[in-house]
Amino acid sequence: MGLIQREIEKVGIATVGISIVREYAEKVQPPRTVFLRWPFGHPVGEPDNLAQQRAVVLETLRALYQIREPGTIVDLSFRWRREKYDDYQPPSTEELT
Amino acid sequence: MNTWHRVKNQLLARLATRFPAIGERFAANYQAQQSSGEIPWTEPAKPLRQAKLALVTTSGIHHRQQPPFDMHDVDGDPSYRVLDGDSLFADFQITHDYYDHSDADRDPNIILPLEPLRQLVAEGVLGSLAKSHYAFMGHIDGRHINTLVAVTAREVANRLKADQVDLVLLTPA
Repeated sequence: MGLIQREIEKVGIATVGISIVREYAEKVQPPRTVFLRWPFGHPVGEPDNLAQQRAVVLETLRALYQIREPGTIVDLSFRWRREKYDDYQPPSTEELT
Repeated sequence: MNTWHRVKNQLLARLATRFPAIGERFAANYQAQQSSGEIPWTEPAKPLRQAKLALVTTSGIHHRQQPPFDMHDVDGDPSYRVLDGDSLFADFQITHDYYDHSDADRDPNIILPLEPLRQLVAEGVLGSLAKSHYAFMGHIDGRHINTLVAVTAREVANRLKADQVDLVLLTPA
């Protein structure tokens, strides 16, 4: 996936990837990555958990705007199935600019 | 690859999804490419509230009427499918033996988060969502890596550019 990401970034489009195998991102070195220690097939979370899926998407977008150093991997703190998303604080407008 | 190999891969994928320790060993069998040299870099062109975003996934999802990815080649399938975000979830299929996609079959947003992104567009957090998104089948190895990098990934990049996409979010399997 990182190889595809690098080709897209090369044509002048800013990219961010979600990774569930940190070692792949470390080797392939995509421009921006968020890492979740979650099972295969669930990069955005669990079925029908829209609050969780929103939180993952928003944290990924925050990383897209906040990462300054090419190749950065941000470790997201969300634990698998042990997280409540009711009090999740989304990024501010400034953080997404 | 014969049917037995496909069944074995599907079974291993199910175990790897259920038990993370097996998953890590399964992942260790696949050698990711070591990149060298400069990492490509583009600053986001616009604030999120004005930007157009597209998704690219290696989860093997596609419209049911499209040809499935080739699961018989041990080196994978470097081709891609163009996804219509408006109609995909009404009739989709996931062709990928290397992970257990039963949860994604139930709610494909866990591999391709169209619904959360639509919400963000409706709330004015995200400018717009592209109509076309792109799917690959992630397990690509051997001779197909070169095809992926030199041909198909580049083609998708150029299509995204032509569609005036500002940001791309990528999701794995």
